[in-house]
Amino acid sequence: MATTDTLILATDITNSQTVAVTLDGKNILICNANGDFYAVANLCTHQRAVLTGGRIRNCFLACPLHGVRFDLRTGKPLGELTRVPLKTYDVSLADNGNLQIELD
Amino acid sequence: MSELIKVKQQGEARCEGLSYQDLLDDETIEVPAYLRQNTNPYMGDEDIGVGRWIDRDFHELEKKKLWPKVWQMTCREEDIPEVGDHHIYEIVDQSIIVTRTGENEFKAFINSCLHRGRILRDCDGHAEEFVCPFHGATWDINGEFKGIPCKWDFSHLDQKDMSLPQVKVGTWGGFIFINFDENCVSLEDYLSPLPEHFARFPLHDYYKGAHVERVVQCNWKVGAEAFMESFHTLETHSEILTFTGDANSQYDTFGDHVSRSVTPMGVPSPHMPEVTEAETMRDILELSGRMATDSAEGHEMPEGLTARTYVAETNREMFGEIIGESLDQATKSELEDAILYMLFPNTQVWTGYHGNIVYRFLPNGDDHNSCIFETMILMRYPKGTKRPEPAMKNTLRPDQAFSEAPEIGGLGPVFDQDDSNMAAVQKGMIASRKGAVSLASYQESRIRHLHQSIDKYLNA
Ligand code: FES
Ligand SMILES: [Fe+2]
Repeated sequence: MATTDTLILATDITNSQTVAVTLDGKNILICNANGDFYAVANLCTHQRAVLTGGRIRNCFLACPLHGVRFDLRTGKPLGELTRVPLKTYDVSLADNGNLQIELD
Repeated sequence: MSELIKVKQQGEARCEGLSYQDLLDDETIEVPAYLRQNTNPYMGDEDIGVGRWIDRDFHELEKKKLWPKVWQMTCREEDIPEVGDHHIYEIVDQSIIVTRTGENEFKAFINSCLHRGRILRDCDGHAEEFVCPFHGATWDINGEFKGIPCKWDFSHLDQKDMSLPQVKVGTWGGFIFINFDENCVSLEDYLSPLPEHFARFPLHDYYKGAHVERVVQCNWKVGAEAFMESFHTLETHSEILTFTGDANSQYDTFGDHVSRSVTPMGVPSPHMPEVTEAETMRDILELSGRMATDSAEGHEMPEGLTARTYVAETNREMFGEIIGESLDQATKSELEDAILYMLFPNTQVWTGYHGNIVYRFLPNGDDHNSCIFETMILMRYPKGTKRPEPAMKNTLRPDQAFSEAPEIGGLGPVFDQDDSNMAAVQKGMIASRKGAVSLASYQESRIRHLHQSIDKYLNA
């Protein structure tokens, strides 16, 4: 486990916004769902579409391409298009206000 | 008896004790006209064959002649707040994309790709355009065809109308309705007199504070009927009798599509002559799940007041505080009674100043022996504050109890009691040698009304 600073201030991501970062070669999407931060692999498990800008409602992120919804807490998809969960990463707040992510 | 009764009523006999209209005479606030209505035209007393609930043929008939013709509630407007948001409404074997296309504009498309027929959208969500996941045929959210990859292979479609087929859409009370029938009556005519009766309860201004669903192993009508009479209170919910005027309920029908039951609350059941006012007050607060507080602690019945009045005044004050508005014009009845409307065929809504409960009973896909039972609670919020986000639907597993859904509070245990009958009724009807049910003339008249209305569609 490695705690990695995203260099992004939590206050810079507004509610329902998504921000993509590349950390350790991984494309990760940070999402603000009603003030809670989540980080998931930025690649839809249905057709590998990038999830950036996907719609957030409650704690679900929808893929912009065909609309698959993923539960940001668990990565689990709803519906029939895919049964493969998204990889999720733990997010925490550093003392300086930056978001940090647990990479494995 | 009220002079408003002009026609022969279904089942002229009534339970002894104070009727609902008698209780209204005791209101100190002017009683709105809709509460004074008392209409239940005579519909007959014949047995009804169980085939309507258990036969595949009957289900097929409903599939052909009922669901394609009725206005049906799909979702709340607040469920799809932004342009491009959509809800997938499924009824029996049909699938519809209900989409917001403008600030106050909705469209409903047949959820089937015009290329090779795949459903276009798999689930609720948001889309800038509808891209079919199979080969990529695309429509804008207004249903205009945008193209398909390898256009050179589809020149034969150039002259064809490739817009997504639509069905009719209408809204009332913050609900979005659809109708598959192009020649249907207007939603306004269909709903009448519901909007008039809900004039004091602007449901479109309320938000969905809870939404719970679960599959129940019974026909959708068995589910609906479990909430259409208070006669079953005595045996099924006996713990609420100290504050429920079950057998003194009033049952009304209004045209083909609307019926109502009003069960007086804050009064003891006529089956329980010994209950004291203090017991009624304590139990209604603790057990009903619909009052402003669910604890009787610190509540003392003031001398000379009835439980009905005391609880209504408590509700008036506390409900008023929650929404930051005075409820001086609310009758005790609207503050406390169980006033439940049915909108044909499968939606039920409560009036009143507590959270407005909504029930819906959908056939479980194409299976006539099970249904999806949904409950929503519409809630008020203080004027001038931001409308809270609607609750996400909580889908319980078939083996879960309704009391496992904390968001519906005291309703959960009551539904569990109802649930103990629903699947059992289906099973018993299948086993029945009598092959028919007999209905109480008055107390179960709304069930007869439901079936007579269904017949009007099936025989049309
Ligand atoms: S079925 Fe929809 S694009 Fe082929
Ligand atoms: Fe019940």
